[in-house]
Amino acid sequence: MTDKQLQDLVSYLIKNKYRVHSHKEIDGEILIDEIYEGKNFELCPQRPLYSFKKFLLPPCQTMMKFKNNKTIGVKNPDTKTILLGIHFYDLKALTLLSQVFEKDPYFQKKLRNMMLIGQSPIPAKDEDYQKFEEDILEHLKFDIFLETKSNNNQKSFRIFTGSEDGQRLLDNFGYKDYEHIEYAGPVPEEGLNITQKSLIEKIFKSKGSKIWKELNKKCIDCGKCSIVCPTCFCFKISDEIKKDKIVRKREWDSCFYEEFSEVSGEHKFLDSTEDRIYNWYDHKFVRIPKEYSMPGCVNCGRCTEVCPAGIDIRKNIKRIIEEN
Amino acid sequence: MKNPYNPIGAKIVKIEKISSINKLFTIKIKDEKTRNAFKFRHGQFFILSVPGFGEAPFGFCSSPAIKETFQVSVDKRGSLTSKLFELKVGTDVGIRGPYGNGFNRKKIKSRDLVLVAGGCGLSPLRTIIQDANLNPKNFQNIQVFYGCRNSKLLAFKSDYKKWSKNIEMNLTVDTPDKAWKNSVGVVTNLLTSETIKSDSVAILVGPPVMYKFVIQKLVELGLSNEDIYISLERRMHCGIGVCQHCALVGGKYICTDGPLFSYAEIKDTPEGI
Repeated sequence: MTDKQLQDLVSYLIKNKYRVHSHKEIDGEILIDEIYEGKNFELCPQRPLYSFKKFLLPPCQTMMKFKNNKTIGVKNPDTKTILLGIHFYDLKALTLLSQVFEKDPYFQKKLRNMMLIGQSPIPAKDEDYQKFEEDILEHLKFDIFLETKSNNNQKSFRIFTGSEDGQRLLDNFGYKDYEHIEYAGPVPEEGLNITQKSLIEKIFKSKGSKIWKELNKKCIDCGKCSIVCPTCFCFKISDEIKKDKIVRKREWDSCFYEEFSEVSGEHKFLDSTEDRIYNWYDHKFVRIPKEYSMPGCVNCGRCTEVCPAGIDIRKNIKRIIEEN
Repeated sequence: MKNPYNPIGAKIVKIEKISSINKLFTIKIKDEKTRNAFKFRHGQFFILSVPGFGEAPFGFCSSPAIKETFQVSVDKRGSLTSKLFELKVGTDVGIRGPYGNGFNRKKIKSRDLVLVAGGCGLSPLRTIIQDANLNPKNFQNIQVFYGCRNSKLLAFKSDYKKWSKNIEMNLTVDTPDKAWKNSVGVVTNLLTSETIKSDSVAILVGPPVMYKFVIQKLVELGLSNEDIYISLERRMHCGIGVCQHCALVGGKYICTDGPLFSYAEIKDTPEGI
């Protein structure tokens, strides 16, 4: 598929009442925004600052409404949405979230009305091509995947489909040159790899060690990492009284906030920064791998980029592996 | 798709004051079919909600053998419990559940039980106490050790006489008033080799500070780690193992793996107790 054909595809989607979201540079930052026309559309190869998780798990969503003590229906319009240009690691994160929220009707309804179009990173040189062969793509949830190729500075895409919806969409658009990859579930047959398995033990062993004491001093509990993290999904449920009705809503929460673990009597179970940051790593590298046989970190690097205290997750993991 | 967050419609059918800070609510599920299908086990909990005041988890406090209604005892603490204290009989509430893994029924029925409660911890243990009173044949010996700061805070005082027919009740308070005739001091003091048989199963419900000392004592008295059960409390929002508020580091969730854990299961979990 050529650049021009991709633009035509975007125009076709918009014409067919899809709301297309992709990322682009806005005031010096890479942000996700709605695309209103296909002409001039260019796939942005850089990583967006925020992930695509908000489209499936909104920062605040209405779960139900009550009026005169009776539940009244919540209107959630079935907007057909396209998320375009999702990077490999963000697809991994959405694949994990779709496991975590497998039985969640709010998440699943949004996913049903959504098409995920992924993209591979731009290869630096021809020989460095990272091939997205079946063994990687078959474990990712996507509808269409664009593998970026560049020949003599001419960008083009090799097209894969990962669902029947994806095939149907391309067929209707009139593009036939794609290969289909059957989704084989989120977890490869061998499950976690050796490094991921040993990390479960090493995180546990590291509890109380020097690294956590250092992070206790460094981390300021701002929770920015959990907001930009594509796999952070903690939430809280609360009621809000509006004029004549009551709204029960679900909002993103962060385990870095003190009240996250507070029970009545003001007792907090995660009562120090050390406890909280350890709990965050425990969730990513122990709990999620144990529960879903997948790592809870997709290595996107966003948390390191936004951390005002300069905490580098890759360096910390490297250190935990070396020291334990 | 089934929505696990939809509350089941229920009604408050009775409200009783059971201590200076505590009220007992009897709740009836409105729809008959749902009511008949609603079954819980010892040690399980549910999420109670009042529209506008949110949801919170509560342990059941009546025998699972009582089918028509169930009870919950509430201390006035946060915004939801304060609202509950204002409610009148007949008010609609929402419930979700039952949640949690509950208690191994075989163990409960075939073994002598030592129930150790501190403060409001007697309420969830009342499911067993009441059950044992209704069906004494289903139980072996039951001993209750219950400690409170003072006698005004003791819950279900008027029931002790009735309970004592089938159950050994041992009470203690930190600060006795003039009329107090039972023990004084922490509940741990009541646990000795004379009072406790080492092959008993112990269930502990109370504040974390009580757990530390009681567990130590019971281990000293020869109870195995597998036979000491502790009910853990955490903040909860979903009740179904997703929201992460009640996670224990290492991989357990209070809402789905607990809230009752054997000491053997959690003794190596950092900050578990």
